[in-house]
Amino acid sequence: MWSRTFAGFLLGLLISISVVLNLNLLLPIKEDTMLLIGLLCAFPIWAGMQVWAYSFPSAKKAWLKLTFVLAPSALLNLLLLSLR
Amino acid sequence: MKRDALKALTNAHAWVGLIISTILFIIFFAGSLSLFREDIISWERDPYFTVSDDVENFSFDALISQVTQDYKVHTHGYFILQRPTAEQPSSNIYFEEEIVTQGNLGFKQDSQLEDPVDDHIDRHLIISPDGTILGDGNAFDWGNFLYHLHYNLHIPQVGLYFVGLVTLFFFVALLSGVVIHWRKIISKFFQYRKDGNKDKLLDAHNLIGVMGLPFHIMYAFSGLVFNLLIVYQISYAVALYGGDQAKLFKAAGVVDVHIEETNIAVPVQGIDKLYLTAKESLGEVAITRISIDHFGDESASVTFRGDDKSQFSTRKEVTYHIVSGRELYLTKNNYDNDIRGGLAVIASLHFGDFAGYSLRILFFVLGIGTCYIILTGNLMWLQKRANLRSEKQNKFGLRLVKAMTTGGFIGTIFATAVGFLCARLLPIELVDRSDLIGQIFFACLAASLIASLLIKAQQQFAAIFLKITALALAMIPVLDWLMLSQGIVVMFKAGHFDVVIVEVMLLSLALCCWLVSSRLFSSTETVVNEQPISLNELAENSIAEVMPSVKVIS
Repeated sequence: MWSRTFAGFLLGLLISISVVLNLNLLLPIKEDTMLLIGLLCAFPIWAGMQVWAYSFPSAKKAWLKLTFVLAPSALLNLLLLSLR
Repeated sequence: MKRDALKALTNAHAWVGLIISTILFIIFFAGSLSLFREDIISWERDPYFTVSDDVENFSFDALISQVTQDYKVHTHGYFILQRPTAEQPSSNIYFEEEIVTQGNLGFKQDSQLEDPVDDHIDRHLIISPDGTILGDGNAFDWGNFLYHLHYNLHIPQVGLYFVGLVTLFFFVALLSGVVIHWRKIISKFFQYRKDGNKDKLLDAHNLIGVMGLPFHIMYAFSGLVFNLLIVYQISYAVALYGGDQAKLFKAAGVVDVHIEETNIAVPVQGIDKLYLTAKESLGEVAITRISIDHFGDESASVTFRGDDKSQFSTRKEVTYHIVSGRELYLTKNNYDNDIRGGLAVIASLHFGDFAGYSLRILFFVLGIGTCYIILTGNLMWLQKRANLRSEKQNKFGLRLVKAMTTGGFIGTIFATAVGFLCARLLPIELVDRSDLIGQIFFACLAASLIASLLIKAQQQFAAIFLKITALALAMIPVLDWLMLSQGIVVMFKAGHFDVVIVEVMLLSLALCCWLVSSRLFSSTETVVNEQPISLNELAENSIAEVMPSVKVIS
């Protein structure tokens, strides 16, 4: 249980930051609205990822699946930040 | 959802709930009481002071000159003045008093001067509506103690983040609970089987959980925003603003009015005149808070702040340079900033301060209901463990959870009741009165936990302990009227009913404790042995709803 907890906690946090960052970089809306949308999405994504991590029967699978979500999102972060 | 996933999630829901249960109970219980924080402060303090509503003669300048005569206000510290409101008959001044350490032999001795390294002490003075200093506000801090317990458990520095983490896992338990219960969320919405104890616990858990779901989600989310916002603040600042936090704050509508200190001493005067100017500038806003930066320096500025009642959750403010009267900042360009407005709305939702007492009563009921959800969750876990064969049982773990449930949950309510009793019984002249009440609270909580670990007959102990707590809670209103009836009547005549509001709240809690004691703890352990409930069974029920044809083998 602890390993799935750490997977969800750590990767869930990184996924939430990464997805929200992508939203901020992609959405063509004003700055303060963008920040608010990010704030509204970030915590539910984090908690949602934690729940998803718990839904796997093994910790290994949880780490793997969450990494599969994080990797493309993080790559998109790098791409969008380099194009900025 | 696949049956394995649902089973894993059900186990995780129980595990997470159990780990955070005691802390979450304290957070929700203290938070529910904190909805009436101002009333509790008023309950403790105002019966001691004669109340008159002569707000017209209130002079900031006269008050400030009196304060500066009696105290050396710390220039680098805060100076905040709260005006009397309809709910709060007296006003308050909060400031830092400068302590001149070695060499100042003439400086008066003070019991609070315990730390020789610190260069200031926090002062809180109570002011009557006509501007007279009534006494030391630090002696009446029980309401604030409960509020601090709610958001940081009185753990310095890291307490805020620790509560944030617990809130995150509360959110996780909430979402996982929704997923587990999803298929039955409508069909079993009103189901409450009161005859079987197993069903009663599970149905109460689900019923309150589902009915209060919007409330729970709002509290989980807003609690996270208050306690863990720093995580995203840092990541935003680093990724979007190249590490420049000032740029982020600017985008978020935060305006920092800062003038460099000149180190030229100038007495603070002219606030009454600036107050009238501020009232004109802010229009509909009822100014409730006045703060002064760089008190006593030539660079000093004053900020007038209040809520715009014509709009939902909108705070406006104006800042002036005191010496010149020059306007430094007026909320206009940024009050409708989405981040600023969004955070204000989240705060209003969390504190329930936008629809009077009716909303706060509703939130209070739901908050106490959440405490019951946590209790039933732990009791179901205990039932499951009690059913295991003795060689499979972790005796220490079982005992620890029982102690956490009895000592932690009931102990928190008992310690709170004792805190209220002390707040009423201890003489107001007592040195460090508020600190002493806080220490008594934690001593009671610790003693309850230790007693729970030592006592074997947990069910009887819980039943008796709850009844003692109920009696302690019910005793508080009696003491109020025996000790301070004259002051309470004066408050009534002035239209302030804080004492009655707190008394009703305490009597409701006493009733809840008595009912839980006689209805839940009178029969639980018997039923534990008769009708055990297991997590597998819970998962099985959920899975059977999802896949009627599949039978879970456990």
